[in-house]
Amino acid sequence: MVNKKAQMKIQQMSFMLIGVMLFFGLVALFLVSFKSSELKQTVGDILEENALLLVSKLAESPEFSCGGSFDSYAGSCIDLDKVMALKNSISKYNGFWGVSNIEIRRIYPSSLEVLCDLSNYPDCNRIQLLSQENTGTGVSNFVALCRKQAIGNNFENKCEVGKLIITYEQP
Amino acid sequence: MNKKGFLQISFQWLFAIIVGAIILFLAIYAVSKFSSTNEATSGTKINAQLSALLNPLESSFETSKITPLNLGTETRIYPLCDSDGGFGIQSIKTSQKSFNKWSTPGIGSNVKNRYLFLENPVQGKNFYVFSKPFEFPFKITDLMYIISENDNYCFKNAPSNIKEEIIQLKPKSIFIEDCPDNSIKVCFNMGVCDINVNTNSNYVQKNNTIMYFEEDSLMYATIFSPKQYYECQLNRLISREKILIDIYIEKADIISNQKCYSSIKNELIELKNLLNNFRDSDDLSSIYSKIISINNKNKNSKCRLW
Repeated sequence: MVNKKAQMKIQQMSFMLIGVMLFFGLVALFLVSFKSSELKQTVGDILEENALLLVSKLAESPEFSCGGSFDSYAGSCIDLDKVMALKNSISKYNGFWGVSNIEIRRIYPSSLEVLCDLSNYPDCNRIQLLSQENTGTGVSNFVALCRKQAIGNNFENKCEVGKLIITYEQP
Repeated sequence: MNKKGFLQISFQWLFAIIVGAIILFLAIYAVSKFSSTNEATSGTKINAQLSALLNPLESSFETSKITPLNLGTETRIYPLCDSDGGFGIQSIKTSQKSFNKWSTPGIGSNVKNRYLFLENPVQGKNFYVFSKPFEFPFKITDLMYIISENDNYCFKNAPSNIKEEIIQLKPKSIFIEDCPDNSIKVCFNMGVCDINVNTNSNYVQKNNTIMYFEEDSLMYATIFSPKQYYECQLNRLISREKILIDIYIEKADIISNQKCYSSIKNELIELKNLLNNFRDSDDLSSIYSKIISINNKNKNSKCRLW
């Protein structure tokens, strides 16, 4: 009888301890999941902030900016000829800007949507860099799109209105 | 019977004590791990936020600007540079002081498109960040310099263009006259100071090391960063320049279809070959003459590439 009572007590205590362990385990699990969702939110906020800041300054980066090649220096001006050249070297820029896609669209004068490649450039109005699809959240900014255009045996500087769209993946 | 009873109670107690101790140990271990992870997470968050904050300092125009960076608490910023692979990597780690103890720096925020120049580490509550475009011969990027409010720099005998720039920038940590006693003395072509700048032979002598530069943007970089870090960043800049040269060569082909013929394509190929042999800042002077010649040709061309 004494032995059985003792066994019962040890069993009770073991169950109790398992219960305590399970309780602490669940609390820890809850804390970890709460912390990880908080961290995900922070990562999302930072990515959004980065994309918003990037869209406002990407047109000034040397890979995109008009610089001095179109007679006068202007802010938010994208050199389309340079962007087409960049399209060929884009694999080197993987992860460079920390965004999933960069798209440039001509919005004025408007025309049917044609994706640009070297064979149809400049008779097109949409350049996709980094990826062929726009997945994720996008932020955009209006820019001037400038390029050289042949007139007879000479050339002229031609600028149109466009939009720079940056897409980033939410975590 | 008594002995048995005594044994029975003592076993229960023993069992409870052992398991209790295990639970206590696990709880203490979890709490300490949790707090150190929390510290690292918060450090990593600051690194990422700081990295995003430095984004808008890039500009299209050839003017430098100064931006105050207030981090609220005493912070150490550790720069890291890796020049391997494509564009290389710029990373920054931060450590903050709380209860008189420096926190774990956290995981560095790696970026490929930033070029920061600062001491390792730079420490303070408030920092001043200013940027200058690096053109070699076309714009490669904006170089960013971070200085702490705790470090005062005294520029002695600075050339007029540097003086004008500092007067225009009004940085609170750089003085050209009435320097505070504890300031770091930066002498231009004179005497022996903490940092000696020779603008005739384009080198900076600092902590028994010599760093070479071309252009003012690189001169500031040598003043505000240690040699090993400067050389690494310079290699990253040259790597980006080589990729940009490929883009300009391709652009020359694209615009030739529009009757815009650039005369510098072959010179760009020669420049790229020169850059392929680049090792450290000592090689800058041999490249610079080519840079000047290409820039002049492009400037005077009807069909400019940049």
